[in-house]
Amino acid sequence: MLNIVNLSARVAGKNILNGINLDVGAGEVHAIMGPNGSGKSTLAQVLAGREDYEVTGGEVRFEGRDLLALKPEERARAGFFLGFQYPVEIPGVNNVYLLKAALNAKRRAAGEPEVDAYEFLALIKQKMKFMEMSETFLTRAVNEGFSGGEKKRNEILQMLVLEPKLAVLDETDSGLDIDALKIVARGVNSLRDPKRAVILVTHYQRLLDYIEPDRVHVLSGGRILKSGDKSLALELEKRGYDWVRESLVA
Amino acid sequence: MSAALRPGAAASVAPAQRAFEAAWRARAPDGLGFLREAAMERFLRLGLPTQRDETWRYTNLRRIAGTNFGAPADRKASGDPWPSAVAPEYVPANALCIAIVDGHPQLDPASGLRAGLEIRSLRDMANADAATLAALLVPPSDADELRWTLLNTALFADGLLIRVTGRLDGPVILLHSMTGGGEATASHPRVIVEAADGAAATIIERHADGGVPAALCNAVTQIRAGENATIEHYRLFDAEAASNHIATLHLRLAQEARCKQFTIALGGSLVRTDLLASLEGSGAALDAYALLVGHLARHVDCLNVVRHEAPHTTSAQTARSIASGTSRVVFNSKVVVAARAKHAESRQSSRGLLLSPDAEIDTRPQLEIHTDEVKCAHGATTGRLDPSMLFYMLSRGIDRATAQSLLVYAFLADVLTDMSDAGMRASIETALIAQLPDSQVLRAFR
Repeated sequence: MLNIVNLSARVAGKNILNGINLDVGAGEVHAIMGPNGSGKSTLAQVLAGREDYEVTGGEVRFEGRDLLALKPEERARAGFFLGFQYPVEIPGVNNVYLLKAALNAKRRAAGEPEVDAYEFLALIKQKMKFMEMSETFLTRAVNEGFSGGEKKRNEILQMLVLEPKLAVLDETDSGLDIDALKIVARGVNSLRDPKRAVILVTHYQRLLDYIEPDRVHVLSGGRILKSGDKSLALELEKRGYDWVRESLVA
Repeated sequence: MSAALRPGAAASVAPAQRAFEAAWRARAPDGLGFLREAAMERFLRLGLPTQRDETWRYTNLRRIAGTNFGAPADRKASGDPWPSAVAPEYVPANALCIAIVDGHPQLDPASGLRAGLEIRSLRDMANADAATLAALLVPPSDADELRWTLLNTALFADGLLIRVTGRLDGPVILLHSMTGGGEATASHPRVIVEAADGAAATIIERHADGGVPAALCNAVTQIRAGENATIEHYRLFDAEAASNHIATLHLRLAQEARCKQFTIALGGSLVRTDLLASLEGSGAALDAYALLVGHLARHVDCLNVVRHEAPHTTSAQTARSIASGTSRVVFNSKVVVAARAKHAESRQSSRGLLLSPDAEIDTRPQLEIHTDEVKCAHGATTGRLDPSMLFYMLSRGIDRATAQSLLVYAFLADVLTDMSDAGMRASIETALIAQLPDSQVLRAFR
């Protein structure tokens, strides 16, 4: 599904990613963990195509295609989704209209017929119910005035509507209370199937109690230092990131 | 006739000024003789404004000054129906619509027949009731923001007096257009609105000529709102052609009168709008909105001068400007609070959005306060589209042009959402969207 080979990138002249190698297969859930400043969010943004992040080396294949050659909107239409760590408020642009336009852009790109307003409303109401979101979100502007937890739920709502093949969720768990965390986890789990993959970028093991990963990677200094199964996350929780660094030196 | 009106050292006089003088000479005399002469004399003495004049520093009128404007044909007798080529898509059933062609209102006998409303032709008044009309006209002044008003007073061929005595159900829609007939012409429409105490009206002036390049429309509108009167006024410029619009709105508000005023520039080659407002009675309130769209090589210059002359008066100015291509947009606003205007409150908010590297937005808020007991605030920002908003939309699969249009549209929404007249709002949105990229997609977003 996703093959990252020796990926390096810099932001504002500073090297942040220093040779990332990662393979994510269809049906898999991977967790990328690491301390602050390790490059987790940069990796997520580079995969989504943020322009002020400069790729300096390596390559990324998404279902065999050169992901880095695609524009951000083309990546999205090809089935890539980024759940933002800090979802952006866009006053004046209706949340639901944006989502409908996004879905139809994707459907057009896939040669599928667009959904009409009626069909879409039924779809979004169903997904909102699943995410336990009030219908007042139908009339609100994108993320405007949403609480931290509402923004994260809105990200998952978008993901459920767009049904991506690969979702990268950047600290979607941060700032959530336990009830909201369960709802978000349920949303992610509902999308798990043998044809999709999910990458969870997170600080904490807590999310992984609810979304069980197939692989866990530790990112530090722009490199993946260690990979393992879900027990690695528990180990990290107990012993901290310094343990990984020390164990590599030893 | 005074010395200034004699043809003299004409070599240095701009062709436009000579043309205006010729139009003055060719006019049919009417009962306003003395007043018009006083106005023309001042105009010729002062000349066309230039960038040396304080309120004209951002707008170069050289192209207009160099044009030898002809007079439009007299449309008084034609009784043309509503010009279909420029008919607005929005005309509610209860609206009173009057076409004003080259400054000539196309009145039919039914025009004035509705409760709470009296409509008269200024040409008729100038002949039959000149004293009444003369008392209503803005007195001549040397101020540079009144230069075009002087010219209008001297040269208006016709116009409308709209007296509102009650609370009107539907809007009064004035559709201004120019005919030209192949040559550059100048017209000087005059509209006077007198709203009695407690009256309420929505007045919509739309300048929508269907393709007269280089024509000049020098429109003057005077609105006086009596005590407790409520006025909503729109002036919309959505001319397609490379026409030039200079429009001066004189607004006077009596005690507790309220006015919402919208100036929307969406068309033409040069659009200069002046709002000269006096809050004369205590508690008078003005909400002035400007939606200024610079497109291609358009030049838009919006001047607001708001004078607080009485206690407890409030004014709010909200300007949203966007500029693309090589266009230039100016929002120049001045608030003057007189010593007697204790507890006045004023707010100026101007935001600009640059959509191309060759476009320019200038914003200049000014405050002149002669008393301590006031609350005045102003804020002005100009920037480009927020890259993080743009990226967020792209990351959802929205293409760049649509994302940009949506953000531009959202940026202007502050002004649009405050329009009380839903039909007017829809009509303006349609005109606005047509000037944004990917308009087809945007229509689906309304």
